[in-house]
Amino acid sequence: MKTPEAGRRRAGWGAALRHAVLRLRRGLRSGELRVLALALAVACAAAVSVGLFADRVRQALERGSADALGADALIDARDPLPPALLERLQTLGLRVAQLQQFPSVVAGAGDQVQLATVKAVDPGYPLRGTLSVSAEPYGPAHPAGGIPPPGEAWADTRLWTALGLAPGSVVQLGTRGIRITAAIADEPGRGGAFAELAPELLINRADLASTGLLGPGSRVQYLVQLAGAAPALAAARSLPLPPGMRLHGAADGRPEIESSLTRARQFLDIAVLAAILLAAAAVALSARLHAQRQRDEVALLKCLGASRAFVLRALSLQVLLLGLAAGLAGVLAGAAGQALLGHFLAPLLGTPLPAPGWAPVPAALLLVALLLAGFALPPLFDAADTPPVQVFQRAARPRRGAHLAMAAAAVAVAVLTALQSGQIRLAAYVLAGAAATAAALALAAYALVRALGGVRARGGVAWRFGLGNIARRRGAAVGQIVALGVAGLALLLVTVVRAELLASWRDRLPPQTPNQFLINIQPAQLEPLRQFFAARGYGQLQFWPMARARLVALDGRPVTADSFADQETRRWINREFNLSWTQDFGDDNTLVSGRRWGAGGRGQRWLSADQYAVERLKLKLGDTLTLDFAGRQLTFTVHDTRKVRWDSFRPNFFLVAPPGVLEDIGEVQWITSFYLPAQRRALLRELVRQFPNVTALDLDAALAQVRGMIGRIVAALEFIFAFALAAGLAVMLAVIEGSRAERVRETALLRALGAGSRVILQGLLAEYAVLGLLAGAVAAVAAQLLAWWLAARVFDMPYGPRPLLWLAGAGGGCALVSLVGWLSLRGTLRTPPRQVLAGG
Amino acid sequence: MDASEQGRRTAGTEAASGAEIVSAQGVRKQIATGAADAPVLTILDGLCLRICAGESVAIVGASGSGKTTLLSLLAGLDSPSAGDIRLAGASLAALDEDARARLRAGRVGFVFQSFQLLAGLTALENVMLPGELAGLADAEARARRTLGQVGLGERLGHYPHQLSGGEQQRVAIARAFAAEPQVLFADEPTGNLDLVTGGRIAELLFELNRSRGTTLVLVTHDMSLARRCGRVLTLSDGRLHEDA
Repeated sequence: MKTPEAGRRRAGWGAALRHAVLRLRRGLRSGELRVLALALAVACAAAVSVGLFADRVRQALERGSADALGADALIDARDPLPPALLERLQTLGLRVAQLQQFPSVVAGAGDQVQLATVKAVDPGYPLRGTLSVSAEPYGPAHPAGGIPPPGEAWADTRLWTALGLAPGSVVQLGTRGIRITAAIADEPGRGGAFAELAPELLINRADLASTGLLGPGSRVQYLVQLAGAAPALAAARSLPLPPGMRLHGAADGRPEIESSLTRARQFLDIAVLAAILLAAAAVALSARLHAQRQRDEVALLKCLGASRAFVLRALSLQVLLLGLAAGLAGVLAGAAGQALLGHFLAPLLGTPLPAPGWAPVPAALLLVALLLAGFALPPLFDAADTPPVQVFQRAARPRRGAHLAMAAAAVAVAVLTALQSGQIRLAAYVLAGAAATAAALALAAYALVRALGGVRARGGVAWRFGLGNIARRRGAAVGQIVALGVAGLALLLVTVVRAELLASWRDRLPPQTPNQFLINIQPAQLEPLRQFFAARGYGQLQFWPMARARLVALDGRPVTADSFADQETRRWINREFNLSWTQDFGDDNTLVSGRRWGAGGRGQRWLSADQYAVERLKLKLGDTLTLDFAGRQLTFTVHDTRKVRWDSFRPNFFLVAPPGVLEDIGEVQWITSFYLPAQRRALLRELVRQFPNVTALDLDAALAQVRGMIGRIVAALEFIFAFALAAGLAVMLAVIEGSRAERVRETALLRALGAGSRVILQGLLAEYAVLGLLAGAVAAVAAQLLAWWLAARVFDMPYGPRPLLWLAGAGGGCALVSLVGWLSLRGTLRTPPRQVLAGG
Repeated sequence: MDASEQGRRTAGTEAASGAEIVSAQGVRKQIATGAADAPVLTILDGLCLRICAGESVAIVGASGSGKTTLLSLLAGLDSPSAGDIRLAGASLAALDEDARARLRAGRVGFVFQSFQLLAGLTALENVMLPGELAGLADAEARARRTLGQVGLGERLGHYPHQLSGGEQQRVAIARAFAAEPQVLFADEPTGNLDLVTGGRIAELLFELNRSRGTTLVLVTHDMSLARRCGRVLTLSDGRLHEDA
């Protein structure tokens, strides 16, 4: 005979799933689950946007470092390669292609001139990858199948745009004209070009001599592409190279590009982390509320015979299903977001990005799982422990789960930070910084909320009611202000403050600040050039001599780049220094230690060192530096140190000697700078014709390019910080949800006591306007303090208070938060007054 | 007794001593249940009532008889499915939600079972609220005075969570009387309090009611409390019956 138990089965996963789905469908009508889903989706979208985009960049970079280099290895030199070395490389079985590149002004048909990188190549270029061209920019691209024939040149899209080129246009390059016959669509070796600011003109090396651009001292970079088998390449690596030459393999990639992208990625990751941590707060708040609301139901289910395991499964499945849906929605939003990021940042890479892979998607879902495990499940576990007796008595019971929840949250924050930033140390810094910022904001917010008590009494009933709500929910109010303040601070920093700092810096420059540098001026050209400029109204042009040297010993001890640990110093030492000589320093040089040498210094082997050189080489007065000037070594003593104001845009040098020492040292060039108004740019064209080897560096164009590049990175950051703001708003919504039931009751009560819709709306708006005002003001003041610190410590310029920024922050916060508060609570405004009696 | 008879013998006509302040004529309240077998539930069925200024009327009845629904209709918190209700001389049927709120402001006071104080406001601010909503210039002075009368003159700045249940109900009573309303609706005012505290609160309620001449409409199932009112009306089957 069957016992009654024999026919029963324990409710398993299937029953729990059915219950979870049923409850989820109903539960979605409640605000807290919607906020939970929103927070998860925002975090997921932010992570997927950056993850997918970074993946595309990685693919682009990896699409053969060889492809990016255009060869298996590259020799980079300032002088032509000795023929013997070239022969030796060929005998190793390597294919060799030589190219030369240098900056030069290219003139279009009209007045347009543009500083470009001229690349003169041999047949066979590039050895790896495919050079593709199109008839004109953005036209259908096809493999070039060779290099430009003599007399022709190919220009990249930027040069086409800058010079207003058409197919067949003739541009002036040095002393000759050259016909543009194609647009470069894709070129190996320009795989990622953060560093390459100038547009490119590709010519046949056979045309180079006829341009007259290769005078002595011209800034030509000699490159030799190598391709071949690995053993031959290894043998090439072990060949002794003359000083100043370097061989980089494909594996070395393009460190400057990779480091630029790595930095950009780090910024984006930090922005994403901010969004994720704010979303985590929203998840924690809404999950806690959800758990609280589940307690009665849990008690009832247990009364009816449900086991703790069943309850736990049902509750967990409910949020897991929700997380899955929100995660997928976030992935879709993130996929759209990465396309936008690509739109901002892909032009910086100068190469089309490959299609996104799907690798970041599981990572994003893992993120959702982590957010749920760290912030949502612990309160639900706690709710699952609700005793069945709670159906009769709602006595508060000790919250055993509180420690578990805190520990889980702490672990989740640590894991999220480490995963997102990729580096434990950076993660720790970011967390510490974020915690300190949040603590500072919380302190400020707390003080402001307390101060509201004073203004409460000064308004009508709606005002007092609204402010009363803030005072009552002081903790929640401070939390909302901090969450919105952090997001607002980030947004203000990348938008308003950045623009302000840039404007302050620009305002500091006098109107006639030089915007053109002339370099490569040969001594014989000095006088004709003075006359050229004097005839055009530039009588006072000052020219500076420039000699090149290499540091070989410091205080008598031989040094090489390897003697220094610091990467920047190593790079600096690896290059040749430019030295100048003078008796008088301009007002952009401030003496730091020692004294000026004056007329008495003539012929003395002294050096005046700029702070940069002092810091890099740890110099002090009396130290000696031995410099090698093309084989001739001279030893100098540090006579004084000075600080250069580099944004004067006048020629300045890290190391300067007195006159009478370097005049006969050998190869000397001259340099000058001047201000050229936009309407007089035709002067550059004449200059190029008469002095083809003199290179004009157009600072306006360079600055515009740098600004454009920064603008793109900032746009990407703003985009990600918008996710942070959305996450901040999710926190606010979570807090609102926590008080919704109470608001419904209070609205009904106010109506019963005779309050009209207007008074109730005013009370709500007063509350949220003040919350937004405080959050915006706190963010603006914090952004100001940071900007002031940056201005004082980093940019070394004055930066005073900007009341307009405070107003903008406070006004923006007020408007945004009022709008969100109204949108989410407008339903409660319609609460009928009879509900006040519902419990009676 | 049929409906027409009840219409003629409107509850309260005999006890009328002043001008009519609250009246209900043929009031019906039905709600949709959504159930297939009984889609509409009738709570009040052609109910009539007349209360004159200065009266104290208790409405009693079994749980679920519709006492609270009747109270919410009389106070204009809800609208009847049919029939007419007049409050302080105005027909509620002609007024929208906001207009009914304006009518209540200052004229109607409430005491609820669950106190219903606004947690964000102090005791003083809670008591000032009806006066402010009615636009009384001396709302604060009245509130201070009334709080003094209920023995909370020293607790003006305290928030509800800093007060005991009895103290909270005393604040609620002060709030109900501060604006000197014409009618006071009380819904189980001692229902959430222990016997001793409930007794004190009832004493306070009737004392203030007497001294200020306010009309009191009290909903309760506590017969000892009901008997302290001038009239006791029993609600059953959707209609009111006057006790002898």
